[in-house]
Amino acid sequence: MKNFGYVTPKTLEEASGLLAQPGAAAMGGGTDLLGVIKDGLLPSPPKTVVNLKKLPELSGLTEREDGLHVGAAVTLAEISENETVKAKWPALADAARSVATPNLRNTATLGGNLCQDIRCWYYRYPDILGGRINCARKEGHLCSAMMGENRYHSIFGAAKVCETPCTGKCPAHTDISAYMELLRAGKVEEAARVILEVNPMPAITSRVCAHFCMEGCNRNTYDESLNVGAVERYLGDYILEHKDVFMKAPEGENGLKISIIGSGPAGLTAAYYLRQSGYGVTIYEKQPEAGGCLTYAIPPYRLPKNVVRSFISALEAMGVKIVCSCQIGQDKTLDEIVKASDSVMLDTGTWKRPLIGLAGEELTRFGLEFLIDVNNYVRERPGSRVVVVGGGNVAMDVAITAKRLGCPEVAMVCLEQRDSMPANEEEVARALEEGILIHNGWGPKEVVRTDGKVTGMVFKHCPKVLDETGRFNPVYEEDNVMELQADIIMMAIGQKADLDFLEGAYKIETERGRIKALDGCRTTEAGIFAGGDVTTGPATVIKAIASGKEAAISVNQYCGLKELPVEKTARLRLHEKLAAFDTRCRGEKEAVKSPMLEVHERDMDKEDLGCIAPELAKGEANRCFNCGCLAVNPSDTANMLYAMDAKIVTNRRTISSEEFFGIHTRVQEVLEKGEIVKEVIVPYLPKGAVARYDKYRIRKSIDFAVLAVAGYYRLEDGVVKDVSMVLGAVAPVPMKMKEAESYLTGKKLTEETAREAAEIALKDAIPLAMNGYKIDMAKVMVRRFLGF
Amino acid sequence: MKEIVRKVITIHVNGKTYDIPVGTGRYEMPESETLSHTLRDRLGLTGLKIGCDQGACGCCTVIMDGKAVTSCMTLTMDCDGKTITTIEGLADRATGELDGLQQAFLDNCGYQCGFCTPGIIMTAKAFLEEHENPTEEEVREALAGNYCRCGTHYTAVESVMAYVQKRKEERQ
Repeated sequence: MKNFGYVTPKTLEEASGLLAQPGAAAMGGGTDLLGVIKDGLLPSPPKTVVNLKKLPELSGLTEREDGLHVGAAVTLAEISENETVKAKWPALADAARSVATPNLRNTATLGGNLCQDIRCWYYRYPDILGGRINCARKEGHLCSAMMGENRYHSIFGAAKVCETPCTGKCPAHTDISAYMELLRAGKVEEAARVILEVNPMPAITSRVCAHFCMEGCNRNTYDESLNVGAVERYLGDYILEHKDVFMKAPEGENGLKISIIGSGPAGLTAAYYLRQSGYGVTIYEKQPEAGGCLTYAIPPYRLPKNVVRSFISALEAMGVKIVCSCQIGQDKTLDEIVKASDSVMLDTGTWKRPLIGLAGEELTRFGLEFLIDVNNYVRERPGSRVVVVGGGNVAMDVAITAKRLGCPEVAMVCLEQRDSMPANEEEVARALEEGILIHNGWGPKEVVRTDGKVTGMVFKHCPKVLDETGRFNPVYEEDNVMELQADIIMMAIGQKADLDFLEGAYKIETERGRIKALDGCRTTEAGIFAGGDVTTGPATVIKAIASGKEAAISVNQYCGLKELPVEKTARLRLHEKLAAFDTRCRGEKEAVKSPMLEVHERDMDKEDLGCIAPELAKGEANRCFNCGCLAVNPSDTANMLYAMDAKIVTNRRTISSEEFFGIHTRVQEVLEKGEIVKEVIVPYLPKGAVARYDKYRIRKSIDFAVLAVAGYYRLEDGVVKDVSMVLGAVAPVPMKMKEAESYLTGKKLTEETAREAAEIALKDAIPLAMNGYKIDMAKVMVRRFLGF
Repeated sequence: MKEIVRKVITIHVNGKTYDIPVGTGRYEMPESETLSHTLRDRLGLTGLKIGCDQGACGCCTVIMDGKAVTSCMTLTMDCDGKTITTIEGLADRATGELDGLQQAFLDNCGYQCGFCTPGIIMTAKAFLEEHENPTEEEVREALAGNYCRCGTHYTAVESVMAYVQKRKEERQ
């Protein structure tokens, strides 16, 4: 066991202060905490353990007017042997006596029992045997019980104890599992609104996003990632089909004017969230049409222009003004715009060609410019032998576009090996399918010219791209060369930001040729914000969207207004207490595949990838694990105290049973830092009530409940007048069976009503592969609890 | 004048008093040490065993202020001023004669490998101090936290019951 300091505070105040320090842990009897420390389960071992047993406020077991007051430091042995408890709250004595062993009960305290850590075997797996299991409740994000050994786990869903990895991987932190859950419940509109909290254009991202979320998907461990993109596209198209519902103009104007320079994804996102809030937003775009890279760089076979236009027209319908063909620096100066606006956002992107100092470079063509021309309907075959230099997504777009425009021979050359190319895997696959040659591991050396015309290119071998620290630092073999014949060479090896428009008039600092963005997309000039590629260098659309939202929030703060409507919606969205999933998800090994055009059917303007039918989208949502922790709450006394509606008194407040036991799945979520459970007040049961604690377990001692029923009921002439029922060990929290309670109230208690109550109590259960038996067993236990 | 401030805790074990210096020095006890290690490694009382080190097997049981506790789940820092009895302290200190309960285990073949026996005897001892005439069921329940992996727990219970019977006869 890692050493720690042990402090015994004399007053509650001192204890609270000590516990508020980082690295401090509270200890009651220690029978849970010491085991947790010995097994190395905590992210970092505590530096100080604070002994709470000696605090006078935490001791004492007394009967008072409002019920039984049990100090948090009272041992379980004292509770189970106390004559008053045995006479008036016998079920509580039973619950306390069912914990662990007689010897442990001599030390274990009530407070410790309520605040103990969970008992899942994945979580408790000792790190000395082959290393720790980093489950969702630790630093990891995968609960192995979903697909693994789960006979004692939850039958009512999982606790969201960490950020789901799909959400974590998404630059915009889209709450993917939440919208999948809503989609399963048939709530399409609500599902769509979850995406709109972070991303106003899912119809676009679903088509072009690199979908980092799918790399994070926990299903990858077992079979195939959820096809998030296909589901997102269904919802994205749904939003555009109902844009009058989702993209409404604000109810009133707030009178503030925001100017956005550049209409790429970052600028459009900022415009959407700011306009929603009532700002007057004007976007300036140098091209004849808005959309930035969405309109001009990404080819239409990946992103049809009508999708982009539909989204932009919806923004315009919201009242966003878009001024096209307006180059800042020429048609209007930055100074003019800044002076006429309350705040300005810069999203000018990276559209300039970087020069690498190659002999004959002036004869090559800039790949991005070629794409812009094609998107401007200059649909000419660029040449007959095309060589594309670069291995990223832009290079892929250039090569495939050239091929589809009729170039018979298209070759790509990049430094990286096939498996580490910066382009997405599916883009590489698409290029290969269409007959594009990819030469990996070569860097440009020289352009071969004859009579001032390009006739080919010489490449030098590049065995290594990254150095030991993982930085880009290619090594070349100058003598190992390859020559490719070509009549046109397209360079797609990077893009630079054009910052001439800044004109030095403002103190906007730049860094490596980009605008320096501070926290919240601020620039060094107050009131001017920046987002998108101009701050990050060429990146993904979703990253630009994330910065667009961040910029919108900062602009709003700068203007001194309260939170944006989108911040409020995200904050107030109701989260289900326990994450539910479809029990069939385990078996659905294969992800839905979006239809893809055959190679011979593809051309420039037809979209390659089709959408999936709504029922398939829902079916794919069914595959989502809705990842969380499936361990059950291990405390016996918690079940009984919740059933008796005890109050939890801390050094700061009194917490209801419902809140303390029923909602949060970790004590750290209920208790603030430095907050200590002082005592528990157990109210008197109604006169004549029968209370019981039934615990089913494999061994008679030192075993946690496989199932437990806690509660009481009171009959008058055989009719149920009061009833309270809690199921333990069925979920990450004790489950109060409210529906079954209200069913029973006022009914005659018969075998039939007891049976029906048991059915109601278990009707929402979602069993895992091995714990379906718990449902049947729990029904029997509920019936027995009711006397049948 | 040199002043040395030392943190010391005092425990009374098997009739002897020990002052244990606390600290991070070589011969000092760290604050995070459990009673099982203090008794075994510092005091040489190796009768108690560390089995699971999680409070589940009961092999480390000692009697503290009359109550049986798992010493592996007890911090020695919490034992300041307490009176502790281990298996070594059961026999008569003057004559060395075994405690009646120990003798009963000998007479009834109450153990096989003996690893769990000190824990079982200490748990039973604390229990029998408080319960004059327990039934076998009550004894079994009291011993619920002591595990015997040889499968000799049946004869352990028989030994305890034999002692109960004998004690009853002697007292009459």
